[in-house]
Amino acid sequence: MNHDQPGGTPLLSEFADDPEMVELVELFVAEMPMKVTSLRKAFDEHSLTDLTRLAHQLKGAAAGYGFPTIGEVASELEGAAKATEDVNRLRTQVDELVELCNRASMAA
Amino acid sequence: MTASAPDKSTILLIDDSIDMHRLLSVRLRGDHLEIIGADNGLDGIGMARTRSPDLILLDVDMPEMDGFEVLQTLRDDAATHEIPVIFLAGMTTTEDKVRAFEMGAMDFVSKPPDFAELKARVRSALRISFLMKMLAQKARLDGLTGLGNRAYIDERLNEEFAQSTRHNRSLSLIMSDLDNFKSVNDTYGHPHGDAVLIKFASLLAEGCREGDIACRYGGEEFAVILPETERDDAAEVAERVRASLEAVEWLVHPERRITASFGVASLSCVEAPSIERLVAAADSALYAAKRKGRNRVILAKPEGRRFSLSA
Ligand SMILES: [Mg+2]
Repeated sequence: MNHDQPGGTPLLSEFADDPEMVELVELFVAEMPMKVTSLRKAFDEHSLTDLTRLAHQLKGAAAGYGFPTIGEVASELEGAAKATEDVNRLRTQVDELVELCNRASMAA
Repeated sequence: MTASAPDKSTILLIDDSIDMHRLLSVRLRGDHLEIIGADNGLDGIGMARTRSPDLILLDVDMPEMDGFEVLQTLRDDAATHEIPVIFLAGMTTTEDKVRAFEMGAMDFVSKPPDFAELKARVRSALRISFLMKMLAQKARLDGLTGLGNRAYIDERLNEEFAQSTRHNRSLSLIMSDLDNFKSVNDTYGHPHGDAVLIKFASLLAEGCREGDIACRYGGEEFAVILPETERDDAAEVAERVRASLEAVEWLVHPERRITASFGVASLSCVEAPSIERLVAAADSALYAAKRKGRNRVILAKPEGRRFSLSA
């Protein structure tokens, strides 16, 4: 199963109808594929440092753009990347985060 | 030295996340707020110094210099130590929060922030800091005349003295006292006495050049601090004020003029310059003006074996 292929229902920003936010949300969503690529790359390279950094950035930003679920999963991944080197657990959480990011991209 | 109402406030965001900068500039847009930003602590400190923002939003979690280090640096610098700071922090312990408040942070907002809450906290912080500035200024203002008071003179004398010794520049001081003021009060009543004080204060302020600092020293005594000014130029200011007071025709007593005496001294008049010696020299010149018949300007003579530039 390839997790990078969009699947499931589109994930909409809570601020999709907020006029002052529309542009910013679009920008954030447009950058999603890049973030997904970076996450995959960090995982493939087994870089806990990069995973932590990327997850930390998403955690801080996602809720601001109206994607609190992405923020929560990113937070869990950050915690896991800091605490564990358990590849299976990390893979599950990267997959989960990537899936949410892809669903957000579908809304664009 | 009046506090101006905050019609436009500048907010400096120091945060390594580009998203925070984007979100904040949209979420805090309008509301008479200008948002400026730095993405690291060092640049942020530089901007705090050069732009003097009204408020700083400071991310705790940043690579290289973290929020605590930035806050400490801001607090240690006289140019930035009064700027209110709101901390922005993700997962934080109570210990972190306590530490931030002890270091002088005004407020704490958790990340990711609820922007409606952040906006409310920003407005509240701006309001509090404006009131604090106003109170600090009021504590240095003379309520009757609106000039700086004794506390303000002491503060400014310290600053100007430090400046003049650091840059080897001159500094002059005028001490002035209304003549026979007790008799004015006794004869025409205290309300008129107050009116005379107010009038004299405004003549003193008008007679000053830009950069001169006029204050009410206490009672009917006034002082003017004149940075970068030699004694004889300070004497011209004093003479101008003396003449303008003497020229006033008073409705309450058209037959009687009110006058003041002036003593003028500068750092070049005193041996081993100090604030105390400067004040003492201006004071004794003022005393000499009173002794010689009032309504005049007397210059302090240079102490010790110095040559005099004036005749
Ligand atoms: Mg940060």
